[in-house]
Amino acid sequence: MSALRELSTMRRESGRGGPGRRRRGRSAAEKGDNRAAVFFLAPWFIGLFVITAGPLVASLYLSFTDYNLLQDPNWIGWENYVRMFADERLLNSLGVTFTYVLISVPLQLAAALLLAIVLDRGLRGLAIYRSVFYLPSLLGGSVAIAILWRQVFGTNGLVNQFLALLGIEGQGWVSHPDYALGTLMILNVWTFGAPMVIFLAGLRQIPETYYEAAAIDGASRARRFRSITLPLLTPIIFFNLVLQLIGAFQSFTQAFVVSGGTGGPADSTLFYTLYLYQRGFGAFDMGYASAMAWLLLVIIGGMTAVNFFASKFWVFYGD
Amino acid sequence: MRNIGFSARRERGRGVAAIVGAGLVLALAACGQADDGGTDAGDGGTSAEGEAVTIRFAWWGNEDRAAITNEAVAIFETANPNITVETEYVDFNAYFDRLATTVAAGDAPDVITMGGAYPREYGDRGALLDLAEVAEYLDTSTLDAGALSNGFFSDTQYGVPTGANTYGVVINPAIFEAAGVDLPDQDSWTWDDFAEIAAEISANTPDGTYGAADPTSAEVLDLYLNHQSGHGLYLADGSLNATPELVGDWFTYSSGLMESGATPPATITSELTTQTSPEQSLLGQGLAAMSFGWSNNLGAFREASGQDLILIRVPGDSGPNGSAMWQQASQLYTINAETEHPEAAAQLVDFLVNSTDAADLIGTDRGVPSNETIRAHLSEQGLEPTTQVEFDFLSQVNEFIDGDFVIGPTGSTESAGILTRLNQEVLFARTSPEDAGAAFVTEVTAAIS
Repeated sequence: MSALRELSTMRRESGRGGPGRRRRGRSAAEKGDNRAAVFFLAPWFIGLFVITAGPLVASLYLSFTDYNLLQDPNWIGWENYVRMFADERLLNSLGVTFTYVLISVPLQLAAALLLAIVLDRGLRGLAIYRSVFYLPSLLGGSVAIAILWRQVFGTNGLVNQFLALLGIEGQGWVSHPDYALGTLMILNVWTFGAPMVIFLAGLRQIPETYYEAAAIDGASRARRFRSITLPLLTPIIFFNLVLQLIGAFQSFTQAFVVSGGTGGPADSTLFYTLYLYQRGFGAFDMGYASAMAWLLLVIIGGMTAVNFFASKFWVFYGD
Repeated sequence: MRNIGFSARRERGRGVAAIVGAGLVLALAACGQADDGGTDAGDGGTSAEGEAVTIRFAWWGNEDRAAITNEAVAIFETANPNITVETEYVDFNAYFDRLATTVAAGDAPDVITMGGAYPREYGDRGALLDLAEVAEYLDTSTLDAGALSNGFFSDTQYGVPTGANTYGVVINPAIFEAAGVDLPDQDSWTWDDFAEIAAEISANTPDGTYGAADPTSAEVLDLYLNHQSGHGLYLADGSLNATPELVGDWFTYSSGLMESGATPPATITSELTTQTSPEQSLLGQGLAAMSFGWSNNLGAFREASGQDLILIRVPGDSGPNGSAMWQQASQLYTINAETEHPEAAAQLVDFLVNSTDAADLIGTDRGVPSNETIRAHLSEQGLEPTTQVEFDFLSQVNEFIDGDFVIGPTGSTESAGILTRLNQEVLFARTSPEDAGAAFVTEVTAAIS
């Protein structure tokens, strides 16, 4: 098991800002490099402070005001936050968002892992398959795909035409409150390309020797997957989980486009972010929308913290 | 081997980046902060002559409207060489979201097209110019008093009507004929007649063709409430007139239409709420015999369906509470309170509503003009058949007008969305008409308070 040990040593080293950095002294050339680095990083820093940090602080302030976009904000204390507890549409939107996240993210990761394992077999034309499967995740969040989705799952859409061939009478999937959220989940699962590529990279890093050794010991394919692939892949699974969870909580475009900005039918696709947008830009209720944004930050932060805590029990770093 | 460590490191970095990314939502929420503070509209009062100025003019609509509007604007620019007009337009669904952000950012257009209760939303919050300040450049005495009153509230004239509009039932006579059903008598038909006729047409036509599209909209509810109670959604003082019982009755009516087959199943109705163009409507596809609609949209529906659609008066308007018919300014031109060039903006609005040159191009695209001289001018030029139908209908309805069009109070622009959502809840049988009626009153009351 020395290979495993080596692996973990590598991880620890690279976890501390890269190997070898401390060994060198600061030469003049390096200072020049630093200046260049600062220069090239400047746009990012400006972006961070002007576009992210500044508005972040501003929105915290606005969340304690009655800001309506057009008039100067007035301080109203915790009122916006208190209002949230009685806001049925907000509670509903939380329900919709959690349902969406908790169902579609695991499904998406399972699909990604499955495809990654299939593609890891060294098929001919692998690069092409990889691109084909990756494509949806480039397109998935886009407006064009959402519009396409509305058509595909519409009353006269592709899905129903296909069902008609089988003699099944379909219906408007995106316009029925029982199914609309489901179609959005399928859309999200379909964009499994990004986690798939990361899984694929992870799979490639598992040394063949483990499998050979296990095969010699007579381990079945399922056993090899359970005892070698899965444990060594847990850091990658964890990474994908955190990333996709955060992304899913912030889903907006798909629901906005598919429901025409309403979150309909009957609020069944009213994602939290969509309701936030409606309050802020539709109902001139920007103070409240700001407070909602902060609640979302707390929720996402909380979920991520829980994730990191839980990771202690199932993520295997080879230590 | 090394790459596992590498990706594990990136994992943390990316995780943090993603958390920062979460802040983007907040950034979005906060980007309205850069407002310019108070109103200082009046002090740009230099001469309108000479000095070169650029103003922006925004409206919603399709490309056809943009083409004729831009042509009209070009004529204005030729007549006023010192004024350059930059135009911008988007479709209706995106227009008001976009407007809210640009106004909040202090980057709003100088001449802003408004409609419904939006002038009030903006006017009462100090975002619109009191047109009395630019009366010198903008003559409103030429316009019908009724239409002008649509832009007058809080004792201030904030908007100028682009044209008058009224509401009616658009009818596809070809489907009536195919179904063997007589056209309704608009002088006497009731809401029950509407339901009966629609159900009969649905029964006598192939599957997928319906007697009517689901009639639920804020305008129809306003008329219905008027017929039942003598007042519309709102009272003149801006308070809500609708009661849980009355609105519940409406939901009973709309779901009854669906159950009898008169209107399409809930999924189709709900699908249509996201597809707002005339081409996508049941009427435009030739799949509905009747649909409620604004008179200025008749042309678009005619073009989409390829049928000689006609307009008739809404059912129930001969009841004890009168017709409740009103004329409404289909749209209003307003001027941004923060504009640097109020005179130029006023001149443009004056040109759009008072000039025959503009009327020759724009015609009735924004409603039948409220300026009598312009109407006479258009009639002289010879009207297109569709326009003629609109003119005739409007003058016919004029005889029946007895309802004041009450502009909804601040916050009332939410009522349309609330109504659509609750109607879906009822149609999908997720709630009872009574509960939906009560929910409507609760939610709208919260929105306008």
